[in-house]
Amino acid sequence: MKKEIDARGLACPQPVILTRKALQDNDEIVVVVDNVTARENVKRMAQSQGCEVVIEGDGKDIRIHMTRGSSCQAPQPATSPEGPLVIAIGSDRMGSGEDKLGSLLMRSFIHTVVEASQRPDTMIFFNTGVRLTVAGSEVIEDLRELSGSGVNILVCGTCLGYFEIKDQLAAGTVSNMYDIAEAMLSAGRLVQL
Amino acid sequence: MTATDFQVVIFDSVSSALLAEKILKKLDIPFKIIPVPRHISSDCGVCIRFSARERERIEGSLAGRVGIQTILPL
Repeated sequence: MKKEIDARGLACPQPVILTRKALQDNDEIVVVVDNVTARENVKRMAQSQGCEVVIEGDGKDIRIHMTRGSSCQAPQPATSPEGPLVIAIGSDRMGSGEDKLGSLLMRSFIHTVVEASQRPDTMIFFNTGVRLTVAGSEVIEDLRELSGSGVNILVCGTCLGYFEIKDQLAAGTVSNMYDIAEAMLSAGRLVQL
Repeated sequence: MTATDFQVVIFDSVSSALLAEKILKKLDIPFKIIPVPRHISSDCGVCIRFSARERERIEGSLAGRVGIQTILPL
């Protein structure tokens, strides 16, 4: 018989945690949830584990059937186009509007880049983005790790000079607009923050 | 260090995470802000990752002051 987990009334992320635990010991389970957010979270997690997911019911009684199958593989990452992957970071914050939030998001983003299966070939830092590359930056360990694994980290020299922090550079190499423009123009994919 | 050496504090909101960050910084307790791992939740924001041996200090300094949802091994 399928193992059944009643996750109704539990706050996020508890339904996902219970599901993940149950999937470690069972190939076939049913999780009952009472809201759409929990349904989607559980579904995504199960699919990322290579499970087949069937949902029945709605409202306060949603039953999510999960079957771990050898034929169901985790989704493959999209193939990258020709040419290097470049990430250009022009601010020490991710997004604009709320500085504290932006700083939090940037740290979270850089951490995720370190953990990502596909690391960028080049990362470019300019304007206030250069503050991320100097001593005392919250992400300096991450940037060193990226640099050590072969990611080319270019830091705008004009910008370091403008903020008078050139002597504090702690990750990457001081670069100029020629290198920065060339890296951007020859990118297969350019991700700009 | 292996992944099992780490634990994460999951908060009830992003502002709780920011508040916790402020408190831990002041106490000089090492930690890292990371996205809530995908296997825990796909849309619950950021959490604080710390070394398992700091658990008591972390719990002691945040309990009652910050909205913590749970603390989990990574």
